[in-house]
Amino acid sequence: MPVIEIDAQDAVFDCAPGDTLLRAGLRAGLGMPYECGVGACGCCRCEVIEGEVADQWPEAPGLSDRDRRKGRVLACQTRPLGDARIRLRLDPRIEPVVRPARRTARLAAVNDITHDIREFVFRSDAPADFLPGQYAMLALPGLDRERAYSMANLPNGAGEWHFRIRRVIGGGASEALFSQLAPGAEIGLDGPYGMAWLRTDSPRDIVCIAGGSGLAPMLSVARGVAAEPSLAGRRVDFFYGGRTPADICGQPELAALPGFGEAIHYHAAVSDADAAHRAGWSGQIGPIHQLVESTLGERLGSAEFYLAGPPPMVEALQQLLQLTHKLPPERIHFDRFF
Amino acid sequence: MKQLCTTRDVPAGGCHRIELADRPPLAVFNLDGRFYVTDDTCTHGEASLCDGEIDCDDGVVECPYHQGAFEIATGRPAGAPCSIPLRIYRVEVKDEAIYAAIDETEAACP
Ligand SMILES: Cc1cc2nc3c(=O)[nH]c(=O)nc-3n(C[C@H](O)[C@H](O)[C@H](O)COP(=O)(O)OP(=O)(O)OC[C@H]3O[C@@H](n4cnc5c(N)ncnc54)[C@H](O)[C@@H]3O)c2cc1C
Ligand code: FES
Ligand code: FES
Repeated sequence: MPVIEIDAQDAVFDCAPGDTLLRAGLRAGLGMPYECGVGACGCCRCEVIEGEVADQWPEAPGLSDRDRRKGRVLACQTRPLGDARIRLRLDPRIEPVVRPARRTARLAAVNDITHDIREFVFRSDAPADFLPGQYAMLALPGLDRERAYSMANLPNGAGEWHFRIRRVIGGGASEALFSQLAPGAEIGLDGPYGMAWLRTDSPRDIVCIAGGSGLAPMLSVARGVAAEPSLAGRRVDFFYGGRTPADICGQPELAALPGFGEAIHYHAAVSDADAAHRAGWSGQIGPIHQLVESTLGERLGSAEFYLAGPPPMVEALQQLLQLTHKLPPERIHFDRFF
Repeated sequence: MKQLCTTRDVPAGGCHRIELADRPPLAVFNLDGRFYVTDDTCTHGEASLCDGEIDCDDGVVECPYHQGAFEIATGRPAGAPCSIPLRIYRVEVKDEAIYAAIDETEAACP
């Protein structure tokens, strides 16, 4: 098994066959910087000082021309071919609370949520160990690359993993899930990953904002608040943005939580005004960040934020929170669904 | 305008961190003899840009944490994962002293 050394940081870890530098480092409990795990965000850049490596996606959008000129690679897309020495900055504050592990899981149930989002329930023999808001990498039969999907439920000893997956026309994984995978089918499930998990030690009110397929991790965070005794009575404002009224979802799940309507509030907006009028939508119309700003008012500045969804939505919210309202980045936890 | 340091404090192609009371730290950059002042804290996370690498040819500073980047002269994000511009300040140099308009309302990032 290749042994990887991190230059000048006194850290050494083994890399199991098939693992990337990032996953092996996280399995060893190291505070490896990362976000998406799929080559898009650029957070896991590192330099290989010694040793041979294979880059599984040399054109990955997470690397710029400057990075390539400087010989950088993405730890999430790089597999060592033997022992190696790499350079990156470990951060003890982000050491994984639950170390990721590979498991086999079987498809147990599929349920419709909207016209293009379905719930997929998988079951593994080992417990479903993760923090609310995290994701797993799914290896589906017949596909050469894994895909990231966030859990919508809470960690549990029964090994249940609930996902909310949006159908992407022509998408390898989502088409396989929607049209081929039958109950009982086996997949590989590696996790948990992700930094946008519920901070139970924060004293602040909580705001969850989801767009499109970002519903799953925000449901998990809201469910995590409701299940955590130390957060009893904590205010949660849950926002969901969709393009048309048919895309709007999440309210029934929130309404099932204790405290709904008192401590837990649901707000939705649709962005396509024509579709809204055609469907007789009487709710809010506009981008979700506008609804967030007008609904929260004064409370915006003192809340802890969790965001999940398409990169343009997350970036518009970062602009609102960080530039307009001067929130520090430490109070905004997000996953961009590349 | 507030005096931050002198030109001798900032080596060519380098950067100097200024800690002031009651406000986040500032970074003074020297790109081939031209001086620029920006916030020192990365807009993506808790990291000091003065600990990062400066690329004089591109006029960018790279954050030491995730290697995101900013254009020093404009504060514009110049590399993932940074997407929020860095705040920049108007600078004047008089007799080797570097001043910055740190109380001015934000210079809009183009
Ligand atoms: C952290 C995270 C969490 C997510 N959670 C959810 C969720 O809960 N629900 C949901 O519906 N979606 C989620 N997504 C999106 C999901 O992972 C898929 O991108 C989406 O389902 C489309 O996949 P596809 O296989 O159907 O489409 P495809 O078009 O087959 O694949 C698209 C993805 O593959 C990447 N890609 C393309 N070429 C390569 C290559 N050569 N090597 C490596 N990668 C490549 C693209 O950048 C893109 O991300 C999440 C994404 C991330 C990053
Ligand atoms: S590019 Fe590797 S974690 Fe995002
Ligand atoms: S903290 Fe600067 S790039 Fe992430």
